[in-house]
Amino acid sequence: MSNMINETILEAAQMLRQAHETGIACEPVRDILPALSLEAAYAVQQVNTRHWVEQGRRVVGCKAGLTSKTVQQQLGVDQPDFGVLFADMFVGDGADVAVTDVMQPKVEAEVALVLERDLDMPQPTVADVISATAYALPAIEIVGSRIHNWDINIVDTIADNASSGLYVLGNSPQKLEQLDLRLCGMVMECRGEQISYGAGQACLGHPLNAAVWLARTFAEGGTPLKAGDTILTGALGPMAAVTPGDRIEARINGLGSVRVSFSEEK
Amino acid sequence: MVILKNGTLADLAAIVDAAAENASAIEQLSSQGHELSLADAYTVQQQSVARRLQRGEQQVGIKMGFTSRAKMIQMGVSDMIWGPLTDAMAIEDGAELDASRFIHPRVEPEIAFLLKKPLTGKVSLAEAMSAVEAVAPALEVIDSRYRNFKFSLQDVIADNCSSSGFTVGAWQKSNVDIGNLGMVMEFDGAPVQIGSSAAILGNPWRSLTAAARLAAEAETELQAGWIVLAGASTAAEALLPGVHVKLHTQQLGSAEFNVGEQV
Repeated sequence: MSNMINETILEAAQMLRQAHETGIACEPVRDILPALSLEAAYAVQQVNTRHWVEQGRRVVGCKAGLTSKTVQQQLGVDQPDFGVLFADMFVGDGADVAVTDVMQPKVEAEVALVLERDLDMPQPTVADVISATAYALPAIEIVGSRIHNWDINIVDTIADNASSGLYVLGNSPQKLEQLDLRLCGMVMECRGEQISYGAGQACLGHPLNAAVWLARTFAEGGTPLKAGDTILTGALGPMAAVTPGDRIEARINGLGSVRVSFSEEK
Repeated sequence: MVILKNGTLADLAAIVDAAAENASAIEQLSSQGHELSLADAYTVQQQSVARRLQRGEQQVGIKMGFTSRAKMIQMGVSDMIWGPLTDAMAIEDGAELDASRFIHPRVEPEIAFLLKKPLTGKVSLAEAMSAVEAVAPALEVIDSRYRNFKFSLQDVIADNCSSSGFTVGAWQKSNVDIGNLGMVMEFDGAPVQIGSSAAILGNPWRSLTAAARLAAEAETELQAGWIVLAGASTAAEALLPGVHVKLHTQQLGSAEFNVGEQV
């Protein structure tokens, strides 16, 4: 890439990092990046990942985003995207999160996979992913956007680490062979009121399809997924905005449940 | 107090029945100037169904409507609605649906109960569950007789809750936990609606206790052998000529029909 593009990538990365650190959302970064360049968007994400790793944050896995047909249509894309998970983004089952810990927070229910083997072969298949998976967990992803008003297109969200915030994992590991991850029902409730429904099929047809896409993409990129990594495969139903006082529970049939509550600023 | 612009409730029953029989859309009763109470609306429904029964149709069950919070909020109501199902509305699993008998049909994924004992009144969940022989995935075809599928609460009740067709898949023993089953409705193999049975009042069993209560309020009972359609788990999808509709339900299997080419 030319120097000028390089500079805009660093500038976009700086904007997002500053928003993260100050809690003040920034303008869309698409305006300064080459139009609809996914390459530039991932370059921004990578600059910040490298920055955070140098600051001591530990990468513990990855997440897939844009795994629903409806959301892909809304953003005018035909593929998912990815972001990285840092250890400090993990939240325990039932924990309390300040709404200010994630900018403009929304929640979605997902299937998480934890690997027991590296996926470092070229072009991993679903057989490789199944063999490498230790267990699945129910998860709530608390997505957020460093960009003002969630005014994002595909470039913005990729640059912004796939709009990741925090993630909550349930404590009930299940073996894949005991699960029907395509037809598993999902319901998410806020204080007993249902706010989202779905099923495994909503995530690229099957959550393992999303896992394969991630495994291939990371293998191609030269940083294959490794034993111990957590993979968030993508939402099983529509996301829902949260406010202080909300108590969220997600149940995925066969996988169990996971919960998180939201409070005012701590 | 009922305000009828002209005629009687029986006249209105004849109008909605003819609209269903001829597959021709009508103006909403409410926009024709008829102001019906809920009880009036149910009287129109009952009398229109009576006309079907006079033609030789048999009642085989009931359907529940407005069983999702989103739908209740959209319609500004706080209770479910219900209406009878007749044998003429049944479409065998895997059969072809004659689209010419509908106006603007839509389909939605549901859970069905088969009763082995009569049920009425304020029954407990345990009583409701012990009255059920089997559960099954089901597809309901709804077809409002009103132009543009637009109606008030009283309109839709009078119109037998838009019910016009249903397909039930293979019956399963009722010991499956049906509280959160994934449901995927496909058109020609491509998913068009994805949801969970939890969308039916949080758990479809609650729809059955509500049906028993509504039956008691109408001084009647749900009969042994009847089918109860518990309500939709997702939004409805407009049917298309020639399309193959299939519902896959976690643990319960599937239900399907084909739409004929003629609409």
